Amino acid sequence: MSLPDPIHAALNPVALATPIFIVTVLAEIILARMGKIDARYEGRDTAVSLGMGLGSNVAGLLFGAISFTAVVWVWQHWRIFDIPMTAWWAWVLVFLAEDLAYYWFHRLSHERRVWWLSHVNHHSSQHYNLSTALRQTWTGALNGSWSVYLVLSLLGFPPAMVAIQKGVSLVYQYWIHTEAIRRMPAWFEAVFNTPSHHRVHHARNAVYLDKNYAGILIVWDRLFGTFQPELDAEPCRYGLVKNLATFNIVRVAFHEWIAMAQDVVRHPRHALGYIFGPPGWSHDGSRETSAMIKARAAGGGEATSTGAAEPAVSPAAAAG
Amino acid sequence: MDAGFFVQLAASAAAVGVLVAIAAWAKIARPVAPLDEHRARAILAEEFPGRAVEAVWVASDGAGALAKSGGLALVVCRVGDGFAARQIPWPQAVSATFRNGRLSVDLGDIAAPRAVITLPSWPPKSFDGDLAA
Repeated sequence: MSLPDPIHAALNPVALATPIFIVTVLAEIILARMGKIDARYEGRDTAVSLGMGLGSNVAGLLFGAISFTAVVWVWQHWRIFDIPMTAWWAWVLVFLAEDLAYYWFHRLSHERRVWWLSHVNHHSSQHYNLSTALRQTWTGALNGSWSVYLVLSLLGFPPAMVAIQKGVSLVYQYWIHTEAIRRMPAWFEAVFNTPSHHRVHHARNAVYLDKNYAGILIVWDRLFGTFQPELDAEPCRYGLVKNLATFNIVRVAFHEWIAMAQDVVRHPRHALGYIFGPPGWSHDGSRETSAMIKARAAGGGEATSTGAAEPAVSPAAAAG
Repeated sequence: MDAGFFVQLAASAAAVGVLVAIAAWAKIARPVAPLDEHRARAILAEEFPGRAVEAVWVASDGAGALAKSGGLALVVCRVGDGFAARQIPWPQAVSATFRNGRLSVDLGDIAAPRAVITLPSWPPKSFDGDLAA
């Protein structure tokens, strides 16, 4: 019996799960149509989500060699341990190590604009359904967000092993993109990422911003102080702080790259802030980061709008 | 290059087409009533917390709204079964192209390039003096 190839993964969990993705999206639509479950689909939003998913496969083919080469090179030249693919404990270790790496990859993808550039795509839908899970970036290989995973190569996990576990994690995270499941059993909610936890992550309500970064195990968020339970009194509103006003898939895929480039060109002296600062950072404070939004909301600013309380000044011409 | 990849890609593309068609057929988007002034102000309060709104112009078809808030115009436009909002300088809104009852507002944002708001007339008489501001 030959040993498994440590570099090229023998199986691709995402490819294997693709028929399940298709069948379950179909099921969610049909069951929602029949009134059996809680799910909302809008045609153009669904087209963008699924189109992004399809395009991410092509992007992986075009640019995947960048991260693959780096991962293999680090493993071949710098690994500290020799971890066998055939040992059961190695798979337990890679499950935990990959999930921890995912937590930090995901957290940095929200907290640094240079990585948010790509991850923003996944959050750009105002819907939360199984098709949203497939709204994947086209540019993830280009901004180096995968570099967190080099730690796993450095530790000695074979590239094939890491690739398989990353696929398992991605497949796990598919089913949690739904409003059809309200809560899992308490023990499950305590340990694992669930639809409820991940709805919080996709919400744009101030209290929910930059929370619940987990992949499979929610324990990382509990450990690092980023856990936020879903609150019945605060229904999730999905999407971005500034939602997109377009279904043009090219704009959806590249808008944040273009916006960052514009900021850098307009304010070259502040380029580092616009690249490596948190999303929403600006040199003159004219925009808001998540931290600023949360601080304002905590101070009560969000609950009161003087405009909402004022009498209408609606010229006759404005009557709708 | 693996031929299997392209077979799977083609099959996935076909599946995407079918799923999008079924999602559109199912008509299970969120029900969105046309905006009235109360609803427009509620959205403005949600999108621009703390900003004082001096006046609101709601689109005739209820698909958007424009508000004056100091030196800013707050713009809300319908996107699918949701809404997006942006703020631009008030003079930019006042000087936006108005033709055939449609106000076309350049939002200056790659992710929200333009909002079209149907209005009986534009700019408003009581505020057009701000154009020089």
